[in-house]
Amino acid sequence: MQHKQIRVHFINSRRPHYFYSPPFTTTVHRCGAARRPPPFTFHYPHSNFLRGVNMFNLTKLEHTLRLEPHLLTLPLNEAIKGELERLFVDKIIAKLGLCISVYDIESIDGGFIFPNEGAPTYTVKFRLIIFRPFVGEIISARLKESNADGLRLSLGFFEDIYIPELLMPEPSEAEPDPENKGQVKWTWLFNDEKYLIDGVDEIRFRVQNIKFPEIPREQKDPKPFAPMEIIVSS
Amino acid sequence: MKILKENAGPLTNFEVLDFLRSRGAAKDPTRVLASVAPSEFKVYDYLEHTAASSQTKESITEFAAKCKPYKLTKSEIINIVNIRPSSSVEIYPLIENLEARLEESVEELVELVLQVFPSSEEQSKSDE
Repeated sequence: MQHKQIRVHFINSRRPHYFYSPPFTTTVHRCGAARRPPPFTFHYPHSNFLRGVNMFNLTKLEHTLRLEPHLLTLPLNEAIKGELERLFVDKIIAKLGLCISVYDIESIDGGFIFPNEGAPTYTVKFRLIIFRPFVGEIISARLKESNADGLRLSLGFFEDIYIPELLMPEPSEAEPDPENKGQVKWTWLFNDEKYLIDGVDEIRFRVQNIKFPEIPREQKDPKPFAPMEIIVSS
Repeated sequence: MKILKENAGPLTNFEVLDFLRSRGAAKDPTRVLASVAPSEFKVYDYLEHTAASSQTKESITEFAAKCKPYKLTKSEIINIVNIRPSSSVEIYPLIENLEARLEESVEELVELVLQVFPSSEEQSKSDE
């Protein structure tokens, strides 16, 4: 594998799972017990180093999937890879992050056909590239829109990055934008100079928190639902 | 679906970019023929704009080797490789306890970064 040479330097395979304290808040935990998020401070303590995670991570998953009979003409690897991509790519897995692509397939087991079914079932172990910045990471993104609650930034592939009003650089003030209704122009007062934050500025920000809100039962909000939100400060 | 290992290894931006390139993301301007999904193309576009687009595997291993005297942790090295700070101001938020651990060698570290990843300045200035 061509990447092995680099990964030897960066893999922290000794990190046990339970040292990883998740920075996000959840209303309902799928496994039952609700976990309280640790209090976060602006000083980033050693917990940042213990985790050793990065913006993009590899995650190993195991999944049992049915392979539709019309896919059986393809070579098995390709058919399974196509199915995995259809299932996982560009989707958000709760608590993990946004899945970017399938890195590789480690093993394929099974292939049995259960009674009453026409499609074989495989148990596949594979690795995905997951996008998931850690708390305290610094990322640069473009400004997408701004309103009275704060700014919203986009990375091209991920657009639910919010800077709430409280975390804007101090002091800054908002003025109603004459051109777009409902949008507000933020200006940053620094050393008696005004810096306008608008256009397609590229802003560097630090991640404060990642939320995975629960899937709502009813669509009350006119805004489309975001399964993963990143709250940042600039 | 079962999560076997949540954190099987951090990837630098360059590694992700390399992976997408090896699947053919770069060669196809029409974006239809390559076996890369449209959402993956967006990731590829984003990564091309960052520092990772001008790096090579050798430069990253070289940087990791040269960083050893500074005693940085792995996540710090990854962050530096990803962001490529070009001045000491940019390094401050990346490394904890900078002054206590490095003291005067901050400038040397910045110079090392600029030396190992040399085309960073031209890339960012030729963009826009």
